[in-house]
Amino acid sequence: MPKLEHRDIVEAPGVFVLALIFLAVFIIIWFAHLKWLLDIWGVQ
Amino acid sequence: MASIFRTDPSSGLKIEKASENLIKWNLIAAFATLAVGGLLGLSVVLTRWPSVHLLPLDYYYRFLTLHGIDALLAWIIFFEIALVHFTSSVILGTRSYAPWLGWIAFALMLAGGALINVIVLMGRADIMFTSYVPLKGDPLYYLGVILFAVGALLGFITFFVNIALARRDGGYKRSLPLGVFGMAAASIIAVLTLAHGAAIFIPTLLWALDYLPWIDPAAYRLVFWGLGHSSQQINVSAMVAVWYMTVAFVLGGKPVNEKLSRTAFVLYILFINVASEHHLLVDPVLSTWHKIVNTSYMMHLAVLASMIHAFAIPASIEVALRKQGHTRGLFEWLKKAPWGNPAFSGMAISILLFGFLGGITGVIFGTEQFNIIRHNTIAITGHFHATVVAGTTLAFMGFTYLLIPYIFKREIIWKGFASIQPYLYGTGVALFSIGMMSAGSFGVPRRHYDITFSGAPFSFTFDPSIDLFLSMMGVGGLLAVTGGVLYICLSFGSMIWGKKIEPR
Repeated sequence: MPKLEHRDIVEAPGVFVLALIFLAVFIIIWFAHLKWLLDIWGVQ
Repeated sequence: MASIFRTDPSSGLKIEKASENLIKWNLIAAFATLAVGGLLGLSVVLTRWPSVHLLPLDYYYRFLTLHGIDALLAWIIFFEIALVHFTSSVILGTRSYAPWLGWIAFALMLAGGALINVIVLMGRADIMFTSYVPLKGDPLYYLGVILFAVGALLGFITFFVNIALARRDGGYKRSLPLGVFGMAAASIIAVLTLAHGAAIFIPTLLWALDYLPWIDPAAYRLVFWGLGHSSQQINVSAMVAVWYMTVAFVLGGKPVNEKLSRTAFVLYILFINVASEHHLLVDPVLSTWHKIVNTSYMMHLAVLASMIHAFAIPASIEVALRKQGHTRGLFEWLKKAPWGNPAFSGMAISILLFGFLGGITGVIFGTEQFNIIRHNTIAITGHFHATVVAGTTLAFMGFTYLLIPYIFKREIIWKGFASIQPYLYGTGVALFSIGMMSAGSFGVPRRHYDITFSGAPFSFTFDPSIDLFLSMMGVGGLLAVTGGVLYICLSFGSMIWGKKIEPR
């Protein structure tokens, strides 16, 4: 598979930062959601 | 040769009359089937919303069957065949080499689609989109599906005929342009998918005609999902191709790493078909090893492709806007993007909703452990509306605002309404999908006519919070239908009353 080059990140720094923000938000939402699901399903 | 082409003044595309007519009629059929499928969808959502519960039992299943056929199958595939002609001849600047094949394909799809609609509306095939055996519909229903599928297959074969001969005529040199490459991936998946369709619907037709004594339900489900879910992967590839083409047409953007984007399309071809085994997780015939490999490793390789596109396309947007001079800070390009252009906003909302609502939930729900819990709940209905409606349909809606000027030579009417249409539709589908997915988490079943189970020998009461989520689904559905009606009015209205664009 072709490698993502340093140039690709430098050309689009905004998307790189957005990707990091979305990753952090996703991890938070995912764990919050998981806790909620475990509560619904009554997993102890 | 040059005289048979006209040049579109805004895009510079060379368009031949035969290709133009094929694209036009496939688009008209797509808009018409979306209008019917969308209105049937409205009646279905107003029935599943417990506060309204609109339709009686028989009409609910009848309209749900037809909603699946018209909105999921006919609208999307007619639009994709229009894209087949657009990419394999207009983008390459060559002619349509087998227009007769394109018209045979169109006629078969139209005849098959009309036959299915008539038979289902007559109440002779209330068997849902999946038509699982031993549910038996009228033989003409299966014949309609076969005619439609054969027509679609011929339509996708037209793509291969065109690109093979376009190379000879200098349409491209070493490799296809990326948008055409994406449609090539879609067409390859389509051939595999439609072969599965033939493999299961021809014996099922013979069974419905009493020539075959029975069809093994397990074999039916296995082969059917080679058609049923894999056909959604045609949609994914075509949608991603549309995203790349929209960026190119609206912003003049190019992918930052084209080889990487092409590799991602190849990952779709190799892995996405086998990833649909989550439909068969409780079927006893397949081994656990087989189920785990397909719903984990294979699916993750297919999802890797979507992740690549998910970063490559926004990056190409950023690069294109920075080249236009929007270079201040990290996000000026985002602020200055053409959010009022419905082609751009349709694509951007489609990427956002497909990724965050459809994609993430697809990965979660598609894995073995989660799928066992969720598969028969309305959460899955929420997931696939986030992919096929918020993703594919919205991307196609956005691209329509480019195709109407290019192909119909008409300007879009009611530009103010056009600029809000993707937002209206996107908000509606997002609410609708989140409502369904949340209600599904509380165990609300998919497809079911009456979740109060009135008259059932055992009673069951859901958590009261499902009323909130199902109301969210209902309100979202109404908003989405409003956005859909606006789209249909804008499409047909622009074709008829749009200001004429004079060719160069």
